[in-house]
Amino acid sequence: MTVTVDDNRVPLRNAVEAGARPAGERRAALAALLPAFGLFMGIIALWEAVSRIFKLPEFVLPAPTSILEVLVSRQRELGFAAYVTATEVVLGFLISALVGATVALVIARFTAFGRALYPLVVLFQNVPKVALAPLFILWFGFDLAPKVLLIVVIAFFPVAINMLVGLQTVDANLIALMRSVGASRNEILRRIQLPNSLPYLMAGLKVAVTLAVIGAIVGEFAGAQAGLGYMIQFASTQMQTSLVFAALVEVSVLGMLFYYVIEWIERRYINWMPAAN
Amino acid sequence: MSAPASTAPPALAHIVARGVCVDFTVAGRVNRVLHDVNLAVAKGGFVSLIGPSGCGKSTLLNVLAGLLVPTAGDVSVGGVAPIEAVRQRRIGVVFQEATLLPWKNALDNAALLMEVAHAGRTRDEIRERALEMLRLVGLEHAADKRPAQLSGGMRQRVSIARALALDPEVLMMDEPFGALDAITREEMGDFLLEIWERTKKTIVLVTHSIDEAAFLSGEVIVMAKNPARIIEVTPIALPYPRNEQSYSAPEFAHATARLRRLLKEGHRQAVAA
Repeated sequence: MTVTVDDNRVPLRNAVEAGARPAGERRAALAALLPAFGLFMGIIALWEAVSRIFKLPEFVLPAPTSILEVLVSRQRELGFAAYVTATEVVLGFLISALVGATVALVIARFTAFGRALYPLVVLFQNVPKVALAPLFILWFGFDLAPKVLLIVVIAFFPVAINMLVGLQTVDANLIALMRSVGASRNEILRRIQLPNSLPYLMAGLKVAVTLAVIGAIVGEFAGAQAGLGYMIQFASTQMQTSLVFAALVEVSVLGMLFYYVIEWIERRYINWMPAAN
Repeated sequence: MSAPASTAPPALAHIVARGVCVDFTVAGRVNRVLHDVNLAVAKGGFVSLIGPSGCGKSTLLNVLAGLLVPTAGDVSVGGVAPIEAVRQRRIGVVFQEATLLPWKNALDNAALLMEVAHAGRTRDEIRERALEMLRLVGLEHAADKRPAQLSGGMRQRVSIARALALDPEVLMMDEPFGALDAITREEMGDFLLEIWERTKKTIVLVTHSIDEAAFLSGEVIVMAKNPARIIEVTPIALPYPRNEQSYSAPEFAHATARLRRLLKEGHRQAVAA
């Protein structure tokens, strides 16, 4: 298991660090990861020790080494499942970002309509989305569409709310100044509000991408023929607990990967906000 | 209605306010924040508005700058209403916060209002003009720096460059140095006088610093609250150009003593009322 995590982590860290930072800083950033890595290894070691000493049955709690073994021996199956889930996540996430940003822009730009739309968005947010999964299966079958739809209804909200805050927290004096030289609403939106909202949008996207992974898994639980969520469910009914954990490892790695891709984009392109260290 | 309070002869007055009243309605209650204000500012003059917090000095500046329409009274800037003067780009405004765009460098920030107004300028002309303004405020070397990389004083200079870029006749400044430390503040004062002498703009400055008002302005308009009004227009008899020595001149001591006394009197009356 640890080997897999490492394999995924090394290129990932490099990608994160590629945001034009000097080598010294890169080394410092890697050094800052050491405590987390050490703690992680400690927990794994403890887990291994507990499962060996108490001889826990594999179907209750498999040892990290046996999970690792499954990760290697069934890598083709797991890889295909990860591919299916990743497709759902990427598609669902992109559509969520688009829908969320559009909702935010509409509410910010068309104030009167926004006043009508905003409470409805909040109302919709309070519908338990997981409960919609069976409906989507009923309407759209067992393929990609219901999962993507479920992801969108779960993940668009943080995008919309965060971006809306970014569009609205603009210095009133600056707006007055822009108006004083004859700037139109569209011009103020384009030159001031939209760029101002980007750091907020990125924060929303980071929340959305983790929700997208959850949405994909829930969607697969409700009815699927492939994917990591499907595999988890299938393996647990078969008492193949090592496989459940192996799939869980892949889901987590997938989630982290997407998260850090967004963080990398943020560091690379939207770097005017003071770094949140 | 009393005559405009100023030493400037009306014929030369650049900014005139007559009987200006401003009411704000908060939760159904009408609150008068400015009552029957009259003033005149000479063309090319440097005038400060001073007074305690809540005396309406910022409100008055907003009225003069065309950012707020008064409830009653007449205001003219260069012979037209402030809103019209704004439309003709005759008024430049600087706020307490520099209000720069954090994602744009100093040059693009200085160019922002020109880009919106463009007024027949090409991109290159806008760039050239923005660079010229940065040169004027002594920040040519920092043209490609973003606000986060600049000190508070430098940010405020960029904001002054942005206001000057459209070549206004009047510069309205609302406590522009209020957020700066004492030393930077004095430096900015010297710098502002230099800009004023070079560009011959009419400057209206809101401040709560007696020394700043006396050191910079030709006239200080002293305000009091309850009701918000002008209690005196104090001419500062200190000759220009002013420099380090001006602070120890007897005229400076005289002016600050008078301003201090006026502000205290205004305060005492307000407490008694």
